Amino acid sequence: MEFLAADKVAVVDLASGQVSEDELSEELVAERIGGAGVTARLHQEHADGDPLVLGAGLFTGTLVPGASLGVLTGTSPLTGGLAHAPLTQYAGQELKYSGFDYLVFKGRAAEPSLLWVHDGIADVEPAGDLWGQDVWAAVRAVRQKMGDELIQVLGAGPAAERGSDLGQVMVNEWASGDRFGLGKALAAKNLKLIAVRGMGLLEIAEEEEMVERCLALLAEVKGGAWGGRQGQGALGQALGYDDYADWLAPAVHRSHSSFNTPFAYNTFLYLDADPGMKAEPDQDEPGVLLGDPGAAGALKGLGLSVEEAGRVILACAKEGLDAAAAARVCQAQGKTSAQDILAALPGLTGPVEGLEGPFSTWAPQGLAADRDAWLRRMAVCHVFGIDPIFGLLAPEISEEKLVGLAALGTGLEITQDTLDAVVADLLG
Amino acid sequence: MTPLSGYRPGRRGRGPGPAGEGFQPRLAVYAGGGSSHSWLWFVELAERLGLHQVAVLDHRQVAEGGLAGREALLVSGGDTFGMAEALGPAGARALEGFLRAGGLYLGSCAGAYLPLNSSKPPLDLFNWVPAKITNLCRDLPAARELAEKFCTAYGCSWVFHPVREAVELAGRGPGPWGRAGSFPAPLYGGPAMVVSGGCQELARYAGFTQRTRFLAEPELARRTLVGRAAVVRAGLGRGRLYLMGPHLEHPRFARANRLIAQTLRQELPAALGRQPAPPAAERLAGVAARRWLRDLQREVSNLRIVACNLEGHPARWRIGRKVYEPAKLRVYAEAAWPRLRRLERLPGLELPAGAAGLVEGWHELAGRARRLHAGLRAGHDMTAPAAELLAGLNRQTARLVETYFANLAGAAPQAAARPRPAARLGGMAR
Repeated sequence: MEFLAADKVAVVDLASGQVSEDELSEELVAERIGGAGVTARLHQEHADGDPLVLGAGLFTGTLVPGASLGVLTGTSPLTGGLAHAPLTQYAGQELKYSGFDYLVFKGRAAEPSLLWVHDGIADVEPAGDLWGQDVWAAVRAVRQKMGDELIQVLGAGPAAERGSDLGQVMVNEWASGDRFGLGKALAAKNLKLIAVRGMGLLEIAEEEEMVERCLALLAEVKGGAWGGRQGQGALGQALGYDDYADWLAPAVHRSHSSFNTPFAYNTFLYLDADPGMKAEPDQDEPGVLLGDPGAAGALKGLGLSVEEAGRVILACAKEGLDAAAAARVCQAQGKTSAQDILAALPGLTGPVEGLEGPFSTWAPQGLAADRDAWLRRMAVCHVFGIDPIFGLLAPEISEEKLVGLAALGTGLEITQDTLDAVVADLLG
Repeated sequence: MTPLSGYRPGRRGRGPGPAGEGFQPRLAVYAGGGSSHSWLWFVELAERLGLHQVAVLDHRQVAEGGLAGREALLVSGGDTFGMAEALGPAGARALEGFLRAGGLYLGSCAGAYLPLNSSKPPLDLFNWVPAKITNLCRDLPAARELAEKFCTAYGCSWVFHPVREAVELAGRGPGPWGRAGSFPAPLYGGPAMVVSGGCQELARYAGFTQRTRFLAEPELARRTLVGRAAVVRAGLGRGRLYLMGPHLEHPRFARANRLIAQTLRQELPAALGRQPAPPAAERLAGVAARRWLRDLQREVSNLRIVACNLEGHPARWRIGRKVYEPAKLRVYAEAAWPRLRRLERLPGLELPAGAAGLVEGWHELAGRARRLHAGLRAGHDMTAPAAELLAGLNRQTARLVETYFANLAGAAPQAAARPRPAARLGGMAR
């Protein structure tokens, strides 16, 4: 596959540590487009190894607005069905430039391991020294070892290591959109983390026209209903969370977006420094990144202040816990104060109930007209690599435009029929 | 004489194309003590010209007969004193013997200072060209910026560098230089000269460009440079020396590059009609070749990632008489990486003697780079480790480049062709 791809799929046999490589065939892209369309197919093809499949969407890392998404696909330990964890921030883009389009992890490593992915090379390395470390310590250690703070780390925290259903796959120091316990699945393979650095290049079949269309689309999005809005407060408002923005306000430091995503819906809360300060803080990180309206909303619903909620979310990030699930489980156990919740987190194992379907409700269903519309939009975003929350907020990024860009970018005959077939299969 | 073939678009703009069928001079590029990364510009120029018989020599190899069988030695920038010290009396004798026997010397920047007459040891080992430099003063003027790159002590005087970046040159004299008209070339500390008997001026500094960066007052820069010789030609025995103040070999200066190409072709007529010599080497094929290349790529990539991370780091290291910044590390990595990618297209690999230990060598460098990164982050003075790393990068990149050329020389044209054009989107440091 010459365009919008590195043309390489790695199959990592964790038991032996061997990595084999295949080309990414044009036929596969023409049929399955990319992202979850391909990861689901690879999951099926390698089913004998109980695989996890990591990949990026067709447009991830390009100028298509919102094209930041990476996808981790596997059998959810919570639902038993196929699930796709959305990975935002800069992880998807880094993966796209790493020299691999998709990585399939099969089997289980004999000892705690990490995968180091860079410049088309994927190496399984021992990670016994990282096992048991909290997410932040592990991220810091691997970046220090490899000598680069820009390395993107997808990993499992202590919660996942101890088999907690709440163990999600983390993106660097922060939560991902994983609601399916794929961090637990990662840890079950003895794979502590995947470190990715991308310095490669992408070719585009019709680059000038594609760039022009992307810029036009960006202008359209910026002129749309969400143009100029930012932060979790605005997102909560759209979801009908009463006084959510006011609740957040005392701790809000700044908004933050994922790669090339025009709506900066993530919010940094400062907990140990003045949120009004503009200078670099003395501490490494005096706060927490809030990117999950479900988590903050659930903790708010328990009556916590924004600072208390921030500290819970921060603790969840270090443990590698899904904070939204943690709030629900704690509530079910009658633990509703910040103190009780913080005390419970290190031993929190589940159960997490009420999950269904292949896509994460981290991207709120409340932003779509109905569940069917939400499911279809999720599928489309996960195929093309569009941030799912942004995808829900930006109807300008229409399927018709995405299909047109896909044909331009790849030079392949990708049509609405192609997309319909992939979506039908993913929602099947 | 037919000039070298026309230019074609290159990855870094318009550059000289292949030098034509059967023009294969046996070149040596100096990458020994005192040299900076700029020798890689001569390597890139040779590759663009389709000249594949390239040896990369360090000071020991020069001193120990490495120039035997070579027709031209290309010496780029760095620390002139460092070069002279590294080459020493044995290197000077070898180089003089090479020249007197008919060898061609192309030197830019530090490589231009080296053969100029000097009373200062160890530079006085290389007194072959009777030209004087004009960027020499007793009382050092004030530097407007980049003080660390402004001057070098020279006995009781100072060699100072009034400008950096692109300047305008005007060709003079017979042949391609006289037909060149005015053209730009980058100046990074090279000399301005006044010629005397036995020297011929081939280009002079004609003025400045919008990109010229003034380290001294513009009027002083003008008095020091404009109208002075930028390129001179001299003879020694049967040999010839071309000394270029600016880096005419810099890959972004196509017109200057073409003059070097034409000079090579004019001065080395015996190389016309010659085919690349097949390398005598160990041959790897199939899985073994892929595995070796992959192992090497792994280590180069590991170093490249650290180098990219450190590119903007504010550290500065005084090594010898020159000041280096962390960005120089990446220059080596970026020279090595695409060449390894091109080797992937070959069915097998020729490993010359210099390839032995390449993987281990780059593995060690990657480790050094990571330790350098950790030390810098911890706020330590890393001058000594940086000096060792840069010296190691010079050595290992030289071996890698030689291995690359050995494979180009034996490769089918389509396999050795440049990779597909640069892509439109790329990962980068953020």
